[in-house]
Parts: sequence; C-alpha cells; structure tokens
Amino acid sequence: MNILLVEDDAAVAEFIATELTRAGCRHTLCGDGDLAYDLARKQQFDVWVVDRMLPGRDGLSLIRDLRSVGDTTPALILSALGEVDDRVQGLRCGADDYLVKPFAIDELLARLQVLRRRASASAEVETRLQVADLEMDLLQQEVTRGGQVVALQPREYRLLEYLMRHAGQVVTRAMLLEHVWGYSFDPQTNVIDVHVSRLRQKIDKTFDVPLLATVRGVGYCLAADEEAQ
Amino acid sequence: MRVREVVSSLTFRFIARYVLVLSATVTLIVVGMYSFYSYNYFSSLSRSIMEEQQTLNLVYEGQSLAGVEQYVRDQGQSQMIDHFYYLVSDDQGNKVAGDLPAATAYREFEGGWLGFELAMLEWGKSVDLEFLAREVVLGEQYRVLVARSYQEAVAQGRLVLHTLVRTMLVTIILGLVGGYFAAARSLQRFEWLGREMTRIVRGNPSQRLHAEAEKGQVRELAQVINAMLDQTELLMHGVRSVSDNIAHDLRTPLARLRNRLSQLGQELPPQHAESVAQLMGDCDALLASFNAVLRISALEAGSRYSGDAQVDLRQLLKDAVELYDPLAQEKAIDLTIDALPAANCRGEADLLFQLLANVLDNAIKYTPGGGTVRVSLAPAASGEGYQVVIADSGPGISSEHWGDVFRRFYRVEPSRSALPGHGLGLSMARAIAQYHGGDIDLEDNAPGLRVIIKLP
Repeated sequence: MNILLVEDDAAVAEFIATELTRAGCRHTLCGDGDLAYDLARKQQFDVWVVDRMLPGRDGLSLIRDLRSVGDTTPALILSALGEVDDRVQGLRCGADDYLVKPFAIDELLARLQVLRRRASASAEVETRLQVADLEMDLLQQEVTRGGQVVALQPREYRLLEYLMRHAGQVVTRAMLLEHVWGYSFDPQTNVIDVHVSRLRQKIDKTFDVPLLATVRGVGYCLAADEEAQ
Repeated sequence: MRVREVVSSLTFRFIARYVLVLSATVTLIVVGMYSFYSYNYFSSLSRSIMEEQQTLNLVYEGQSLAGVEQYVRDQGQSQMIDHFYYLVSDDQGNKVAGDLPAATAYREFEGGWLGFELAMLEWGKSVDLEFLAREVVLGEQYRVLVARSYQEAVAQGRLVLHTLVRTMLVTIILGLVGGYFAAARSLQRFEWLGREMTRIVRGNPSQRLHAEAEKGQVRELAQVINAMLDQTELLMHGVRSVSDNIAHDLRTPLARLRNRLSQLGQELPPQHAESVAQLMGDCDALLASFNAVLRISALEAGSRYSGDAQVDLRQLLKDAVELYDPLAQEKAIDLTIDALPAANCRGEADLLFQLLANVLDNAIKYTPGGGTVRVSLAPAASGEGYQVVIADSGPGISSEHWGDVFRRFYRVEPSRSALPGHGLGLSMARAIAQYHGGDIDLEDNAPGLRVIIKLP
C-alpha cells in the first residue's frame, strides 16, 4: 500500500511512519499543505493520511482542492480533538474517514486497509458476498452457511454485511458503530461486543470452523481460518 | 413565624435596645429635674411658713391675742388659694381663731413639720388640698398652726408624670414599630442575598448578584460577594484547565505506550500476551477517560450549537434503544419504548446519540436484573422543544446527590466504582444537552430514577 502522509508534527509523523513501515506500507512523508498538493497531483497514492492543521494549506482545503480536480483517492483526516463538530466538516469536504488524535495505531491501520479495499472494490456492483462457506445474497437479503439458512435480525444482517465486505481485515468497534449504526460516539461499555457475540451465536455456534474472530485490543475479523491474521 | 424571625433579628434587637436605653435616660433626666424643682419649691415654702411664724410672734408680742386674731382674720379674707391658713388654740386645745378645723389628722415629718389633707371649697367645688404646716407657741398659752398648701407642686408633679408616661409610651411604640419595619426590610434583603447565593452556588457559578439594583451597604456586600464569586470561578477554571492540560499532555504518550504494548503482544508467546492485553485494556480505559474529559471541556467551553442540522429524535431514540437492547436482555431487564411522536430537533446527531447512549447505559448498568427501563419522548410542557424521559427501576439516587452526579468522576457510592465506566457519562450528557440549549434533570421514579432530558 502506497500512502501519502501529510503531517507537520515531526514526532507524530515519525511515529506513524515507523508503524507504517512495520506494517509493510510504503509511504511518502510531507509536512506542508502546498507541497502535498503538488505531490498528490504528480503521483498516484492508494490512500492519503492528512493532518488538519498544516502550514501552507490546511488539511480540509487540501482535500477539497484535490477533489475539485477530480482526484478520488481515499483520504483519512487526522485531527487533534478540540472542535466538537469538525468530524462533519471533515467528511463534508470530501474526506472518506476521520480519526481523532491520539489514536491506536491498529485503528489507523485497520481504517487504511478498509479505505484501500473500498476504492478498489467500488467499481463492480456486488450481488453476493462469500467468506468460506458463509454466503450472503444481497438481493434476497438472505444468509446461508454450508447451505443452511441463517435467520438474522436487520441490524445483525448489516453487521454481518459490513464484516463480510471487509473480510480478512480487522475492523474496530468504532468502525462498526460508525458504519453499521451510523453514529460516531464513545460507548461507555462494550455494547458492541454483545451484538457481535449474538451474531457469532448464529453464524458460528453450530459449525466446526469459527469464522468471526476477536482481535484482542483492536476489534474483530471475519475470515476463513487460513486467511485470518 | 415571620414576626418571630424579624423580632429575633439583629437589627430589631439593636433598635429595641436603643429605644429602651433612650427612654430610661429621658426618664432619669425628667425625674432629676423634677426633684430639683421640688426641692426648691419645698425649701421656699418652708421658709415662707417660718417667716410667717415670726410675723405672728411679732404681732403677738405687740398686740397680744387680739392682734393675732385680727391678723388671722385679715389673711383669711384673701381670695388667693395660695394664702396661709391658721389655727390658733389655747393650752387646752380649744380653737381660739383661724380658718383651719380644730381636729385634723396630721402626719408628722422630721424637724417639727406636719402634713395634712383638707377638702377646700374652690370655685364652688370641693377640692382635696395637701398642706405643709408648722406649730409655733405664742407666749405661754397659745399655739398657732401655720399651714400653706403645696397643691401647685402636686399638680405639677402629676402633670410631669403623665407627660412623661405618655411621651415614653409613644416613643417606645413608635421606636419598636419603626424598628420592626426596618428589621423586616433588612431581613428581607439579607434573605434575598442568601437565596441568591444559594442559587448561584448550587446552580450556575458564573451567575452574579445584581449589585446595581441595590443601595448602600447591601450593594457593597453584593459587590464583595460578586468579587468573591469571580475569584471562585477563576480558581475553578484554573483547576479545570490544569486537569485538561494533564489529560491532554498524557494522552499522546499513553497512546504510544498502548501501541508499543500492541506490538509487544504480537511478539511475545501467547502465555504473556494475556497480561499485555490486559495492560492494553487499561490503557484504553485511561485514554477513553482523557478523551471524555477533553470532550466535556470542549463542549462546556465552546459556544452553543450553531449549526442548522435537523435530527430526528424519534429515530435517534429507536436506534439507541436497539443498540442497548441486547445488553438489557443479558441482564433480563425489560427495556421498553413508548409510542413516540415525530420530533425534530436542531442539533448534531452523533452528540445527541452519545447523550442518549450515556443515559441509557447508566440506566441499564444500575438497574438490577429483572427490572425495567422505560424510554419515552413527549413535547415539553412549556410547549417548546421536547423532553426525553428515561426511567429505571433501580436503586435510584437520593435527592441530595442529584446535583453532584453531573460532576466529573463523581460516583454516588464508592462501591459502585466496581461497575465499568469512567464516571463521566452524566457530566458528558449534561454538557451535550446544554451545548444544544437544553438541560438534564433528575426525578424520583419511586423506585428508581427518572432522567429528564430537555431539548429545544
């Protein structure tokens, strides 16, 4: 994965860069908004990771300007917390995801994976999803595993759909809340875990091979066994 | 009750004491002056009686008894009430001459002075007159009693006494009534001060007394109190910003620590990975607390919500209840939602969802298994905005803690800290409600707690 990292705080930039290298991602580091614009115009990246506060051109303008010239490369905004409704602003200006500092590096990596996958998959219209012997018919809204129909509640269906669309990737609890429930907030208790364990009951309980794994300290991963981790 | 309060007030006690001291002083002065006047009066009266006796002596020496009789008769003709009266008697005690009756009951004073009372006819009326008298012996046979009325002094004494009593009564009554009203008024002002201060201390510490509307010392006092409140608020802000700074500064190293732990967890053999995962969990909890503190601060410090996004409250509630329903089911809690009216509210969906989630989370957390949590939505009683009520059947919170539970990290009972959560849920909920121009109130659900979320 080739990433453009636009971050002016040297310490944070170095930290993220180290972690990206460790995770096997190529990256280009840039500390100035105007320079980043030129870089992005010249070179094709898989994902942009952009800090909000930048010298030259701020992160929001950078993304807005790049979108206005037709570049649809996925963008993730990093922001120090402070403004209450800046998430909405960030997404409105064309960013695809938004992460508040400080963040767990696992969360960033998980989101980057999802963004890249989304960009490559968005071209084709899918009607079925499949992970091992678990199948989802998007038109009939029916889920089967090993040929047996699994009855799901609407929310469980959407939860599974999200997990299946990101099969093999680690998805965090915050990502699930954002995309399955549509709210970005901080649950005080692990309310998500209860939903996931219910789903697990339905899709894994009666089968020998578990598909839905918990990734400690990060989130969940739906994958056929050999794919996981 | 009210009268007793006023009477026992400092102002009234002071005024009452003042009036009493004043009355006592005036009485003393008047009595003193009267005594002085009486002394003079009686000494001149007695002197005149003694002089009259000498005159009688001279008359007797010159003209013997006949002259005395003549003199006494002449004097008795006088129309003045204040003239001398005489009784001339022989050594047998028989009356010889004079205008006083022979047998009169005397009171004896020291120095040979006598006093008696006699009814006199004056302007056709019988009047009891007080007399001062002294006996003198003429030659060897006769005795003459010379008397003079001191009625004038008695009348004046009575007049002075009456005037004094009336004046004092009026002074005391007027003083006390005036004191009562003055005390009632000052008490009213102090009660107002007390009420206002209680309201400010319990409620919003950034409010101030309206010092300009007051006068004199109350105004000065109000200004002093306002200055004190300024100081207190400044200190509170100081403490808050220190804690915010700490949270802010610790967040980044903590995040780094967590990331390192995460790497370590992958590199270590599985038996150690367990404890690393626990450490990561602790890091996450700390980070969540810090983030929540900073978020609350941002909400409290910033201005009100200024966007114009419309949020469907009904949908928001349904989603929140749906999210928490499995959690409730795990504890066998009956989470019900009343039929909801359509309700649109200006605000930010993520924040409002956070608000509802925090309150629901609390309700489910503190309600024992088998209990109920009821969620309802209705237009506010005032007609503007909506109110969301989340009522549980848990142990509730005694009303003395109602104000405190919205404070950061406040927990009603230390034992409750065993339950998960960082003690910031309700303070964040209130910060969000107030950010949207609403508020949160608590009520007793008997049993349990009703949380009333008001949104414009």
